[in-house]
Amino acid sequence: MARVEIRNVGKIFGNYKAVDDVSLTIEDGEFVVLLGPSGCGKSTLLRMVAGLELPTFGDIVIGETVATRLRPKDRNIAMVFQNYALYPHLTLYENIAFPLRVAGRRGDEVDKKVRWAAGLVGIEHLLARKPRQTSGGERQRTALARSLVRDPALFLLDEPLSNLDAKLRHSARDELRTFQERVGMTALYVTHDQVEAMGLGDRVVVMQGGRVRQVGTPEEIYLYPADTFVATFIGTPPMNLIDMPGEVLGVRPENLMPVSFFGQESGLRRMTMLVSRIEFLGSDKLIYGALDDPFGQAKVIARLPSSVPADIREGERAHFAVREHELRSFDPQTGLARPAPIPQRASVASHG
Amino acid sequence: MAETHTVQPGDRAIAYLTLTPSAAVLLLLVAVPTITVIGISLQDVGFGEMSGPWIGLENFAWALTSRTFWTALKNTFVWVFGSVSLEMMLGLGLALLLNRTFALRGVARAIILAPYLIPTVVAVLVWRYMFHDIVGILNYMLMSVGLISKPMVWLASTSTAMLSVIIVGVWKFFPFVVIALLGILQSIPQEQYEAAEIDGASAFQQFWRITLPHILPVFLLTALLRTIWTFHKFEIIYLLTGGGPLDSTTTLPILVYIKGFADFELGRAAAIALITFFILVVLLAVYFGFMKRAEARQ
Ligand SMILES: Nc1ncnc2c1ncn2[C@@H]1O[C@H](COP(=O)(O)OP(=O)(O)OP(=O)(O)O)[C@@H](O)[C@H]1O
Ligand SMILES: [Mg+2]
Repeated sequence: MARVEIRNVGKIFGNYKAVDDVSLTIEDGEFVVLLGPSGCGKSTLLRMVAGLELPTFGDIVIGETVATRLRPKDRNIAMVFQNYALYPHLTLYENIAFPLRVAGRRGDEVDKKVRWAAGLVGIEHLLARKPRQTSGGERQRTALARSLVRDPALFLLDEPLSNLDAKLRHSARDELRTFQERVGMTALYVTHDQVEAMGLGDRVVVMQGGRVRQVGTPEEIYLYPADTFVATFIGTPPMNLIDMPGEVLGVRPENLMPVSFFGQESGLRRMTMLVSRIEFLGSDKLIYGALDDPFGQAKVIARLPSSVPADIREGERAHFAVREHELRSFDPQTGLARPAPIPQRASVASHG
Repeated sequence: MAETHTVQPGDRAIAYLTLTPSAAVLLLLVAVPTITVIGISLQDVGFGEMSGPWIGLENFAWALTSRTFWTALKNTFVWVFGSVSLEMMLGLGLALLLNRTFALRGVARAIILAPYLIPTVVAVLVWRYMFHDIVGILNYMLMSVGLISKPMVWLASTSTAMLSVIIVGVWKFFPFVVIALLGILQSIPQEQYEAAEIDGASAFQQFWRITLPHILPVFLLTALLRTIWTFHKFEIIYLLTGGGPLDSTTTLPILVYIKGFADFELGRAAAIALITFFILVVLLAVYFGFMKRAEARQ
């Protein structure tokens, strides 16, 4: 395994900047997730690290080597593609053995490695099959096994779970995480699914328009979004943004609660909401409405655990409040977070 | 609930009834000529006639014992094997080349199609001119680079006539192979090559382990079609050499034509035609068996 440094890397297609001056360090053994909307340049960045795409500027350092101009095979990396890119005419066994065979390994050594990798991902019983005789989840695991046999310094994964159904994706994510902890892989993982990103990443890199908007642990990104883009991209429903004179206030829906919920607590910001709609989601209720002055009719969503008793009806006013320290403040011009109190690790942990 | 229609015995009759006219036409189109040929092959048909005395299998016996027939058979195999293998190699090479991205790729693809679109008669005239021993460009070029010292008589010499005919055939039909293979080449997902690149496969390994297995079914099918068509091919050879000099380019279809319309031995011509047909059927059976096994391995 190795440390990877991405130094001021950019990629321009024609006159379109797909990736714009990205710098990022992936520590040895770290699992870093690239998260962002479609077309923000995640795959392009990943492909530059893989060597499938040449950066227009900047450098990529893998371990001690400047790898910017190295061919993919000389970078000691493994990659799992979105469609897995298994070789359709080869059995799963031969698919996994492929990197070893082209490297000229023979006989027992290949067999041992293939069975070891297949065992790690639990597909030993399928090795004689062709890819089209297996399920999406099994293909994904085969692709993972194929990436394992060469002991790569770095794993690159481009939306490897996106072809699985919701349930399978959940268990696959779980397996991947367990697996990562067991192998201690250094990985760069691309997804546009925030749940996947938060669940898998030691750190999450939020990208937009070819640029990095924020790098941090899932908690940091969720609790202290660096700008209004990150604030609204992460979280479902996203953070409420309330335009105020001289600032934009940010409130997570689950922090906006009926006043009665806080009891005698102090340090609250009170808000009155004209409720327009209530959605019952099972464990939670979503309450849609508009805030009265001084919050300028801002449309907001509150998220209430169904277990919290609240006398709220559509078409009526209700009294809500937010703890002052859970409010976020952004610059109305730049959208950047106002220097909020630097989060203490301890306090972050108590939230998580 | 909507009313469902179950199949009644009468429906079947109606189905057959409505199919009968087209089935009858098809049968007439296929069966009448075939039966006529079989009939003629069993008769001694002479000059200007369409029938003659029944002589059983005598025409077949003649064919299988005549030197002309065996020479034509050998010529046919040389012609088919030479043409198809060269077409397939040239076609594959060019398809691989055209599958890469380069400037003017679209233009190159269009140009490559040209021989296939030029009418055979025109192509033959041009090639006869190029093969000409005195004014032909081929001799001129070969002599100016020093490969030959005096003009060669391409079409009129027994040693080069078949080669010349094959060259024209390959030139005319390799675009078909290019187009067929280019289509399948473009259907290979780019990701396969990227994965192989990361796995450390060399260009040759990528060709051998990704490209070739992927295109194999289409490659074999194209070769099969080309084999059938080349086996039947008549006009290119006939227009270039008329089957000569001597019988050096007389393939089975040419022999059928010569027997039938130059020697006016229609019975013998029909017998040779049927033997040709039989050989082709056997070849196809072997080929399909081979394809099936290749497919099973896929
Ligand atoms: N080869 C290329 N030529 C031109 N433009 C490209 C090329 N590859 C990518 N792009 C453009 O660069 C931008 C970033 O593409 P990229 O594939 O990195 O997005 P992404 O973040 O991976 O999106 P998704 O989540 O949809 O996969 C897109 O606007 C895309 O159209
Ligand atoms: Mg992508």
